Amino acid sequence: MAARTLPKTDVVIVGAGWTGLAVAKELSAEGQRCVILERGDYRHDAENFGGPEEHDELKYARHKGHMIDTPTKTLSFRNNTSETALPMRRLGSFLPGKGLGGAGIHWNGQLWRPLPSDLNMRTHYTERYGAEILDGMQVQDYGVSYEELEPHFDFFERVCGTAGQAGNVNGEQNDAGNIFEGPRSSEYPNPPMKHSPPQKIFRDTAASMGYHPFPMPSANVTAPYENPYGAQLHPCTYCGFCERFGCGYFAKADPIICIYDTFAEEDPIEIRYRSHVLRVEKSEDGQTATGVTYLDQNGEEVFQPADTVCLNSYALWNVHLMLVSGLGTPYDPETGEGTVGRNYAYQTIAAAGVFFNDEVWSNPFMGAGAMGMTIDDFNGDNFDHTDLGFVGGGYISANQTNGRPINYQPTPPGTPSWGAEWKQAVRENYLHHIGIVCHGSSMPVQGNYLDLDPTYTDDYGQPLLRMTFNFPENDRRMSEYLVGKAEEIARNMDNVRAVSTVNRAAEGDNYSIVPYQTTHNTGGAVMGTDPSTSVVNRYGQMWDHHNVFVFGACLFPQNLGYNPTGPLMGLAYWTIDALKNDYLQNPRPLMDA
Amino acid sequence: MRLTTKSVLLGLPVLFGAALAAPAQDMSEAPRVNELEARLNVDSTLFNATIDEEPSDDMLELGRLVAMGGAENGGSGMACVTCHGANGQGDGAGVFPRLAGLPGWYMYKQLEDYAEGTRPNRIMTGIAQRLTEDEREAVASYYAVVEAPWPGPQAAAPISGDQLQWGGQLAAVGSAEQGIPGCVNCHGPNGTGNPPSVPYLAGQYAEYMSHQLQLWREGTRQNDAMGVMETIASKMTDEDMRAVSAYYARVRPGLESVTPPAPMDDGEVAEIETETSDLLSDVD
Repeated sequence: MAARTLPKTDVVIVGAGWTGLAVAKELSAEGQRCVILERGDYRHDAENFGGPEEHDELKYARHKGHMIDTPTKTLSFRNNTSETALPMRRLGSFLPGKGLGGAGIHWNGQLWRPLPSDLNMRTHYTERYGAEILDGMQVQDYGVSYEELEPHFDFFERVCGTAGQAGNVNGEQNDAGNIFEGPRSSEYPNPPMKHSPPQKIFRDTAASMGYHPFPMPSANVTAPYENPYGAQLHPCTYCGFCERFGCGYFAKADPIICIYDTFAEEDPIEIRYRSHVLRVEKSEDGQTATGVTYLDQNGEEVFQPADTVCLNSYALWNVHLMLVSGLGTPYDPETGEGTVGRNYAYQTIAAAGVFFNDEVWSNPFMGAGAMGMTIDDFNGDNFDHTDLGFVGGGYISANQTNGRPINYQPTPPGTPSWGAEWKQAVRENYLHHIGIVCHGSSMPVQGNYLDLDPTYTDDYGQPLLRMTFNFPENDRRMSEYLVGKAEEIARNMDNVRAVSTVNRAAEGDNYSIVPYQTTHNTGGAVMGTDPSTSVVNRYGQMWDHHNVFVFGACLFPQNLGYNPTGPLMGLAYWTIDALKNDYLQNPRPLMDA
Repeated sequence: MRLTTKSVLLGLPVLFGAALAAPAQDMSEAPRVNELEARLNVDSTLFNATIDEEPSDDMLELGRLVAMGGAENGGSGMACVTCHGANGQGDGAGVFPRLAGLPGWYMYKQLEDYAEGTRPNRIMTGIAQRLTEDEREAVASYYAVVEAPWPGPQAAAPISGDQLQWGGQLAAVGSAEQGIPGCVNCHGPNGTGNPPSVPYLAGQYAEYMSHQLQLWREGTRQNDAMGVMETIASKMTDEDMRAVSAYYARVRPGLESVTPPAPMDDGEVAEIETETSDLLSDVD
């Protein structure tokens, strides 16, 4: 136990990102005193993310200035249980954040909802194809339905001033939007982004092939906008510095401008920076948590007692915190028992690169994180999976996110990787290229999981989180299928002189944590209605400790074909709703175990 | 003299046309076309001046002619040089911005917007409407290439050190409390602009700039791409507008201020000529 115990608070929140700030905003309005513990520092869009300083690709995109530093927090990694995991000493495949706003600062702003059938995936696939299609996979239902979450998806889209074209408002379909999406209660708050010539060609080509293109929903705001909390957002200037950067234009919705800035002086919220949470403490009977122990900014170990504990750190770190605190039962891949660390999943990323002749100009320096033209025809169960040999899918999207000089140097297949010929190819192609990304789902299998490393410890003396992961065969087949579709569209486009493809989940290749893929790590503390296969119940409340609520993508039983921020924030507002309208009046398990 | 002109103009707005006759109409200031062409040898100048195609000598000649009042449809009977000067120096009265070296495409678009009414202006709307498409492009290219002396910080109206400090802060980092992004986000380091679409602020007249901010705020001017300026101005107080405009009026215009200093023989870095000394010279 810590040397010093602080005065008790109503709610302690671990992490000041999207979910943590939303919890503080909503619960403080109910009179709850909220203490937020944030590992990083205060920062603000105006003072810290303004161009031209922010537009330093080397500092922020390559040296990852806004992300977690691995000496502070990292994990060990291996592909399977027969290997010995080694610590990740440098960031690569995924980029957790640090500081006010968390990873919500350096996201791209691609803001999705899950499909209704994503949320009851096991039930849905079993009914449509028979249970055997899911053999070998630990696919589960979320335990909460699209209809229940819809008001919360809608609210978060309004918090962000999301720009898009609805494809289904209250059951009324609109071909200009995503016709596969679940029914929405309202249109997007802002009109869709503008698109570049290659994206329009993608749209027309995909439509001519019988697909259903639509503008990607975007939290890069397209018009002056005031969100439900009163925050004022500005229109996006298409500067091409979204992912890995903060937005000094107040145009990419982020937790600071959308939520933090709307905290009033009198709100009972306190944020303590440079506070590194070590563990959640349990009561003597183990039924509840009593608060959290953390290292404060002076490096002193202190205990913050609280009635309610909210875990709002990055998906992986939430799981780590549970494991080092002894919350729940760790998952054992041998027996399949235990739940903490179970169903870790990732995302399959593949892409087709399209190289146009001089007739088509992309001008990639004009871009935005969520400037995309997308088809959803091969996502989720929007297409017939009979005899395909896999479940799940992903969206296929022509994205123009940036033309930054270090990272964006597209060259057609066959180009040497250096020298005069390479330079010539970059010159010829820089303005005439677009990437078509395949953003695929990831299914949980018995051997992919998170636990504590038996060998390596961090600077605080705690064992590292250990990730054991390789792409399941199902996901490899799915990714192969998707990239084939993307390539087919690419080859049907006019004025194309070359097409390249890349598939990070290709057959025969092991998952590598070195090349960047996505910061979409999911699972490990999944939600559900069965305590033997989920860590939290359908409200995000821990089965084993009813005053611990868990937020973020660690709740996903399997990963979606979509970016996680929209889905996880819908879940966050759902949990907040349960706290506000039920739990806080009468603290108890909200479901019978 | 400058202050006198200003008071006349602000006091008698109806007489704008008449009062306009007074300032610089010295044709000898107008650079020759071959001088302008020589300047286009610098890539950044060429980019700044290019609207649709690289400006030809014919186009520059036409632009010079239009500036002098020689438009096909007679302009509005007023030559650009009457108010903006042949070298685009303008005048600090609040309505005559400095044009020298503004991005050509930006000025061309302003003429379009004056004509179409998204930037309504009693004087400029009529002028722009009577210019042909080619004349708008030519005169915009012309003013993008010309160079003008900068009157310097001492020409700007006095302002307190606190206000100037605040203006500089708004320019550099904006205000987290008010939700204002810093000007440098779009207008570039030192406010030198970002051609082809973003004008410089450095060296622009304070009265003109703060007046424009007010027009953005009240929604009279609404001719930027997505309403960015209207949103920003709506969060600014009169005081903010005065402060940031006073700041930029004291920053030396032009791109030379971002040129890295040449190393000196002894390995020391040469003293950078910055706007700092200029800034301080006029603080009261």
